[in-house]
Amino acid sequence: MGENYNELKKSTASQTGLTDVVLGWVMLYIDDPEDRSAVSLVCRRWYELDALTRKHITVALCYTTSPERLRRRFPHLESLKLKGKPRAAMFDMIPEDWGGYVTPWVKEIAENLTCLKSVHFRRMIVNDSDLEVLGRSRGEVLRCLKLDKCSGFSTDGLLHVGRLCRQLRTLFLEDSSIIEKDGRWIHEIAMNNSVLETLNFYMTDLVKVSFEDLQLIARNCRNLVSVKISDCEILDLVGFFHAAAVLEEFNGGSFYDQPDGYAAVTFPSRLCRLGLTYMGKNEMPIVFPFAPLFKELDLLYALLDTEDHCLLIQRCPNLEVLKTRNVIGDRGLEVVARSCKQLKRLRIEADAEEEGMEDEGLVSQTGLMALAQGCLKLEHLAVYVSDITNASLEYIGTYLKNMCDFRLVLLDQKERITDLPLDKGVRALLRGCGKLRRFALHLRPGGLTDAGLGYIGKYSWNIRWMLLGYVGESDAGLLEFSKGCPKLQKLEIGGCFFSEHALAAAMIRLTSLRYLWVLGYRELSQSSRDLLAMTRLFWNIELVPARRVVKTDRVGEVVVVEHPGHLLAYYSLEGPRIDFPDLIFRLNYQRISLYRSISL
Amino acid sequence: MSRASVELDFFGMEKQNCCKSRFQKSLDRRLSFRGLQGALSKVNPELIKSVIASGLKNPQGQDNVYQMDSNKSFSVPSSPKETQSLFPALPLLTPAARATSENGPETAPLTIFYNGTVSVFNVPRDKAESILKLAVEVEGNSKNVEPIDSKVASPPSDRQQLLETLNGDLPIARRKSLQRFLEKRKERMTCASPYAC
Repeated sequence: MGENYNELKKSTASQTGLTDVVLGWVMLYIDDPEDRSAVSLVCRRWYELDALTRKHITVALCYTTSPERLRRRFPHLESLKLKGKPRAAMFDMIPEDWGGYVTPWVKEIAENLTCLKSVHFRRMIVNDSDLEVLGRSRGEVLRCLKLDKCSGFSTDGLLHVGRLCRQLRTLFLEDSSIIEKDGRWIHEIAMNNSVLETLNFYMTDLVKVSFEDLQLIARNCRNLVSVKISDCEILDLVGFFHAAAVLEEFNGGSFYDQPDGYAAVTFPSRLCRLGLTYMGKNEMPIVFPFAPLFKELDLLYALLDTEDHCLLIQRCPNLEVLKTRNVIGDRGLEVVARSCKQLKRLRIEADAEEEGMEDEGLVSQTGLMALAQGCLKLEHLAVYVSDITNASLEYIGTYLKNMCDFRLVLLDQKERITDLPLDKGVRALLRGCGKLRRFALHLRPGGLTDAGLGYIGKYSWNIRWMLLGYVGESDAGLLEFSKGCPKLQKLEIGGCFFSEHALAAAMIRLTSLRYLWVLGYRELSQSSRDLLAMTRLFWNIELVPARRVVKTDRVGEVVVVEHPGHLLAYYSLEGPRIDFPDLIFRLNYQRISLYRSISL
Repeated sequence: MSRASVELDFFGMEKQNCCKSRFQKSLDRRLSFRGLQGALSKVNPELIKSVIASGLKNPQGQDNVYQMDSNKSFSVPSSPKETQSLFPALPLLTPAARATSENGPETAPLTIFYNGTVSVFNVPRDKAESILKLAVEVEGNSKNVEPIDSKVASPPSDRQQLLETLNGDLPIARRKSLQRFLEKRKERMTCASPYAC
């Protein structure tokens, strides 16, 4: 902060009696981005001080601003997180070439952002050349590189990272689509890096990684604390586990039919966060000795049934994070409620449709009610349920006062749901969970009336992000909803049949809204007049029409997938983008002058 | 990661104002103006004229009422209908904001933009308020009074159809990563040999 100090010293004490020097030091302690945002709006001097002292920026959508604009405001930025494709890309709903290219950002980082130490790209397109540029320009200072659900690069790009970024503490590639040519990149890391703490290529399809290189990394990097890898036979990792003395977290690996079983496997003594892919009933006992230490357990990709879940979870009294599929069942949730009093995060995904036909492997209101009463520290809950009642939601509102992220999806397997609509329950939940910031509700027609949708608007005073699927009955519901939600910044709607007119009106009423995504959007030709009503200054609107995608799945079958059309609207300081594929229509908006008609 | 949000209210300003950008605030001001226009635009000016005429104290009142030639009216945006109908329930400005310095029983000009024409009436304040109330009432009660927007309430059969197609269109979406796992699991069960590491 050398040159900044002189700058600050020069100006006289402000009206508050604090000199800029003091203010600058105080600001260093303010981390929360919303606080920082408020601070920067006080006056010009505070804006400048904030710009000089802000360490981290998250750009929620890379097209809302430009690399130059970012650099001009925050020239001394140390950490940057950029997000590209809409969240729906994680559900395979966005075309691969939709956009979100990191190239212009990497160029700016390489040329001007000299203090940058940590880079996180999420759902963006990264090329090998981008990685080379990054490595050559920032390789010596880069401490954290996260290519999170990214695509467009190969192991050659990672080779540059391995060779040039020798100070990396964190290399994170989880869920990225990487073209695999060989396993040399991991060898480079093993040879060049001795400070690595977190290595993650979980949920990638990299298979040419040699376990000997992993072992070498474990030996060289004395602070290696977290490793998540792709499929690799666990028995081959015995050496790795021996070498990784301080390892606390491990995910990945794989189990196969081994004649002598897995008794030979011993885990590092501090291991407390675990997720073993394809772990079945027979292999489960190898983790029992560690179960009492477990803080995080990932069973999403394990092969356990309801009984197995009960047997394992009852041994985990210190569990804070649990991820699994709904095979855990209500019975498993009751065990969680009894045993895991420290639980903070719970994610229950939906199993394949053909699996969940027995009642055991389904989650319903029974499990939720037990959970609400048992796990009072719960902050994050995401669950796919087969059945639901208002009472269970009321329980959540009554007991789970720390809830800040709640997501519920009602599966469509059962024809008749016990208790719909969920108006009362949703209202009770929102009123009870005052700390809620993120909220998702995906139901079915009849799941929530217009009044219920109005409740969501009225009682979501703190919510920033919302996903609503099949809620409400008509435009009136949406208009009522849009009267509330004072802090709603990002809204995703799917399967609801609101007219474009209502959507446009809602967009305007939601005062904090800066991002809207609507799935199941009807064809452009039908209602172009109403669409134009949505247009305003600084607001980009993009439409992807419905499309049919033919692909071959893993077993070689040809599958035709129907993708409904969708609409994306977002505030941007940069005007409409130019790097979109032909598929996307950009709304041709007239620059409606807001000034002319007001003059009297 | 959950974070408790700390509100820094340096000068006791309202939370909402603090967080809005200057642009957003000026946008809101303009939207309120348009809300006024929007509400009044739903009511036929003849009706307004008759309301005013019946209650007008000023005997010269009729003479003050004039209609501008649509050619000479202010340049209204090319599609006023759409934009006006978008703002049904924004807070209305009181006409006092637009009035001259006179108050109380004195009349002040009330300007109405409707259908590309502009009408100016001189009304006392209480009459103006009752006109506004009337406008809100009319607009709130019956949507079919709207001459403009034909797309607001599509016929029920259309909506039904939309519903049915959407039901088919949107299955429960699963994360790609989970989908890949489920496919791999199916493969493992059908295939005999495991993956090469």
